[in-house]
Amino acid sequence: MPADTAKPAAPSRTPVYALVGNPNCGKSTLFNALTGLKQKIGNYPGVTVEKKIGTAYSQHGHPLTIIDLPGAYSLAARSPDEAVLRDVLLGRRADTPIPDRIVCIADATNLERNLYLVHQILDLGRPVILVLNMMDVAERAGLVVRAARMEKELGIPVIACEAINGKGLVELKLAMSRHDLPLSRHSWAIPAPIAPAVSEIAASLSENDRRPPLIARAEALLLLTDQDSVRVAGSRPLSERTVEILRSWEKRWAAQGTDWAGALVNSRYDAITELCTHVIERGGMKTGASVSDRIDAVVTHPVWGWVVLGAIMSALFLSIFTLAQFPMDWISEHMASLADAVKHAMPAGDLRDLITDGAIGGVGGVVIFLPQILILFFFIGLLESTGYMARAAFIMDRLMSRVGLNGKSFIPMLSSYACAIPGIMATRTIEDTKDRLVTILVAPLMSCSARLPVYLLMIAALFPVATVPVAAKVGIMISMYALGTLGAFGFAWLFKRTLLKGEPPLMIMELPPYRLPKIRDVALHMVERAWLFLKRAGTIILGISILLWALTAYPKAPVGATDAQQIAQSYAGMAGHALEPVIKPLGFDWQIGIGLITSFAAREVFVSSMGVIFNAQSGEGNTAPLRDALLAAKWPDGRLLFTPLVCITLMVFYVFAMQCMSTIAVVRRETNSWRWPLFQIAYMTGTAWFVCLLIHQIGRALGY
Amino acid sequence: MMTAEFRQPRPRMPLTELPVGATGRVCALDGEAALCQRLREMGFCESAVIEKVSGERTLLCQLCGTRIALSDRAAQHIVVELIRGGV
Repeated sequence: MPADTAKPAAPSRTPVYALVGNPNCGKSTLFNALTGLKQKIGNYPGVTVEKKIGTAYSQHGHPLTIIDLPGAYSLAARSPDEAVLRDVLLGRRADTPIPDRIVCIADATNLERNLYLVHQILDLGRPVILVLNMMDVAERAGLVVRAARMEKELGIPVIACEAINGKGLVELKLAMSRHDLPLSRHSWAIPAPIAPAVSEIAASLSENDRRPPLIARAEALLLLTDQDSVRVAGSRPLSERTVEILRSWEKRWAAQGTDWAGALVNSRYDAITELCTHVIERGGMKTGASVSDRIDAVVTHPVWGWVVLGAIMSALFLSIFTLAQFPMDWISEHMASLADAVKHAMPAGDLRDLITDGAIGGVGGVVIFLPQILILFFFIGLLESTGYMARAAFIMDRLMSRVGLNGKSFIPMLSSYACAIPGIMATRTIEDTKDRLVTILVAPLMSCSARLPVYLLMIAALFPVATVPVAAKVGIMISMYALGTLGAFGFAWLFKRTLLKGEPPLMIMELPPYRLPKIRDVALHMVERAWLFLKRAGTIILGISILLWALTAYPKAPVGATDAQQIAQSYAGMAGHALEPVIKPLGFDWQIGIGLITSFAAREVFVSSMGVIFNAQSGEGNTAPLRDALLAAKWPDGRLLFTPLVCITLMVFYVFAMQCMSTIAVVRRETNSWRWPLFQIAYMTGTAWFVCLLIHQIGRALGY
Repeated sequence: MMTAEFRQPRPRMPLTELPVGATGRVCALDGEAALCQRLREMGFCESAVIEKVSGERTLLCQLCGTRIALSDRAAQHIVVELIRGGV
């Protein structure tokens, strides 16, 4: 049979390549290697859940557009993530053109399973390049994978590759630069009783849904194996006629009691097994356990596993406190001397106050936390790139299944320690819609890095003397994180029993082999986060700081009024006063109220708000540390405002309250309704209020 | 090789009851269609060989070169025959 050739892409248009593969096959590494820094990623890449688009260059220097699609085991989608992959490849999405060519990446160490998806994609009748990744690992495991033989069997370019070492990239680019790519000549026997159904549905698809004939056949096969199709917004639905035909075949088979879906999967596997017997040679089976197995013996152990997880978590929080101290002091000193320099250089007046109190005070108070946020992302990046994250999910599964969630929810929840937004986006890999929704609802309870500045400020106010051991500070910090985590589990348990009753969870998850971390990838990720954080500090937080300054500076009090009187009668003061009756039972006054309101922009804005409000009262000349300003603050009757009890209550309030516009926007997008984000605001902030009321009133009654 | 040929049929059991450290071959999947398909696509198809690495509520298995964690609720639908180890 002569190799069919695809039409060369029109030279005027940039050809679109899609990268497709199982999770953990090294797809992201390959994408990074091909596109380098020429990537367009959404704001929050998280784990490979966002659609990433990059540009690579062919051997002749022509640009090639590359779409990195989410990893999946099959085209039969079970999560929104996989649905995006399926819909892009089938041309069901309006926002993404159907890719001209597909680059399939398969893990050579586990070819049988990886080929399942590849095989489905070959059915699509698009030009495909197959990349066999991790050839070095396969070789070490005693597997000989013959790429040349595979190329002969399938009739498409097959490239042996080690993406992590950059081997095979030149060959891949050469293949991608070819004007003509042969179509696959793979063949497999569709079980005879199914054949008429396939052809009838395919005919309807090409007639009523305007699919090209090859895609129609592949989609027909998919529809027959995919029991409950996951649908995502933005994809075109099937025509009624096609659905009708599909239903009638399903009914017919149900009456006969044949498992057609199983038969199709099995006959596909038969074809793959047949292919593998020609391609893979199992050399001398390695004896003894591999390094990965030996690490796993400890890390997934029912007792030692917890010890390791606990040690890693403690190391994480400890280093946030100790390692970050030096760069934080450095930033704080420079911010203070900058403000003082401006104070000396400019005449007194509104403009000077705007710059020192508004801009420098507000932004500086937030930028100081950059080192700690970097450490947090460094740890999370490290855990992800070594493969430990999946083990943590495995260990946590035992615990999570008690509250009705599965271990996969742990990854979004751990990411939420950094920021709820990538956490919520990482829930896209959870198959069960109810489990996914519960995870989204509780994820913001995990203390994110934006709360860190608030906790740190409050802890600083709690322990003003330098002699307090670090352990006490770390202890309070860990208990805040623990409180949020317990809250998340508690609410997950409650929601799974009441609002979102569902089947107990089912987890099937691959644990990737351990790898040495790719420091470059981790560093790239950290730089990205740092940049996002600084951008936010330079835009939103700067804006809010200036706005807040203006709201505290106007309307002007009569000449001769003190700074305190000025703030009290300003616009911000009015808003704070309006809120005061609600928060007074918690021990918060109207000044804290202003901070609570501005926190909706981002929680760390609380710190900059306190900076603006209290520094404005600290008088002329020097820029006193915010902590001292807070400790000096008093109620009108002379009682101290930031008593230890209030500091603790305020921290607890931040543990529970939903105060982040960006998170609300993401939840709205992910759940596709306003109902869930509004519910989330109500239940989280409501809980915060009640818990704080209890703490404050009990604390007061006990005499604190 | 340790796999001696037995005359009598090999014992069959759900994967949850396979002893830790033993190896079994998948004979059948007996759950709902959707679950079975998902298991097949992850590689738990008929005649696949599975080694059970550890097993409590969440099982850890070795399946042609990959480690897979799966809940007991999924594993109980995988019927295996013991081929090596255990007992």
